[in-house]
Amino acid sequence: MKATAIQAARAASWCLLAIALAAGTWSDAPRPHPPLILGQYPLGPYRVLALDTHVHTFPFSASTLWPWDVVLEAGRQGLDAIAITGHDQVMAGQMGRWFSRLIGGPTVLAGEEIISPDYHLIAVGIENTISWRLKAGAAIDEVHRQGGIAIAAHPLAEFWPGFDEEAMRKLDGAEIVQPIIYTTGYARREFQEFFARWRLTAIGSSDYHGLGPVGLCRTYVFVREAGEQGILQALREGHTVVYDRLGAVYGDPSLIQLAGPESRLRGPEPTGPESGFLAAISRTCGLLGMIGLSLGAFQLRPTA
Amino acid sequence: MLALRRPFLLALIFGCAVSLFTSGRLTLRLAGPATVYWSFVPLIETAALAVVCRGKLRTISPAQAIDRFFAGFGPWLLWLTGLAAIWSWLPGMEAFVWTNPFWLLIAAPAVLAWSCYIDLRFFRSVLDHRPGRALVWHRVISWPLWLLWFMASSIWPPVASRLGL
Repeated sequence: MKATAIQAARAASWCLLAIALAAGTWSDAPRPHPPLILGQYPLGPYRVLALDTHVHTFPFSASTLWPWDVVLEAGRQGLDAIAITGHDQVMAGQMGRWFSRLIGGPTVLAGEEIISPDYHLIAVGIENTISWRLKAGAAIDEVHRQGGIAIAAHPLAEFWPGFDEEAMRKLDGAEIVQPIIYTTGYARREFQEFFARWRLTAIGSSDYHGLGPVGLCRTYVFVREAGEQGILQALREGHTVVYDRLGAVYGDPSLIQLAGPESRLRGPEPTGPESGFLAAISRTCGLLGMIGLSLGAFQLRPTA
Repeated sequence: MLALRRPFLLALIFGCAVSLFTSGRLTLRLAGPATVYWSFVPLIETAALAVVCRGKLRTISPAQAIDRFFAGFGPWLLWLTGLAAIWSWLPGMEAFVWTNPFWLLIAAPAVLAWSCYIDLRFFRSVLDHRPGRALVWHRVISWPLWLLWFMASSIWPPVASRLGL
């Protein structure tokens, strides 16, 4: 009798998983994301692109998805471009870029998060790995030599000593909005203090490690031409606008004004759980199916 | 089949969790590939089990040992499902708050301790002697391997720096 009940529970769990997969796959459509062109000469016209400059992939960089899955997911989240920034390696970014070009996906910039004990630096638009053993200033020189952009990653106070005056002078941008500002009380203040030290391009990024959507925090880049070089040029010139969820706006003041109401740019940004009936069915059935299988096929107590 | 069914199920639940973390739903696009490449966890766990139990199994076959060992993953799978629930139902920022510190720093160590106890009892039941040593060796072999595969390039700079390499 007990064995029959367990079998029935397992069958029900498999059914729930099947329903979840069907509903989730059926509703797996990209967020609506029409091209946005703002301004007229001399301030424009600019094409506004949604960019996430700090995305990690599996394996080796403590994330959950391979580069090609991240590329597909970025497109679904309404991002025009991402920088895949492997921890101390550019291979992941190059793989993602190859795949995205193959399928006509979002622009992928190959990059690296240089993880030094003294600083963390995002190098966007590079081709060769840059050693974490270099001082920040020398690493930034190498980023520039390769035609890339150097961005201070999550510049908490513990990393400030790594960015000496020489490094600050060479640095292109700094992350000012990142998920950590919502979870750690002091992070937002420290980011703002760092950002105020020099004239830097404002960057918002998700530091995607597999939890939450890609592009949870993002940078709106005002480009003259779409594509990798256009994005890099805009980042170099500081043509960005970044919003946090506490009401602050960062970036070029003239572009903030040009952007107009916040909602105009932020339309496709993910703010809450995936909406829609099928998405809710998918996650509810999926979670119940996972609980059922975990309890039905696995044990919480030691076997005798 | 006996040796494969629970390891496969473990990888499948990993794949489903990855899909829920990222997209808030279960899609074939994410869950399918993630199941394949997250199978490195059961593969490494099985390899470590094979090393630890080699030639020492008392009364059961290797396939039975694998099946029974993986049966003890219940606490970790419930923990993972809880994490998936947080990330699929809560807005991103609230999910971060719930994940860290509560789910990672409080719930995870509790699950870790409980799974050690389950595995210790498993080794006690299948090996002739030194189950504690088998448990330690299993962890020593398997955890660095999957940590390396998961985040090798994140680990090396601080380690090398501390060791003066």
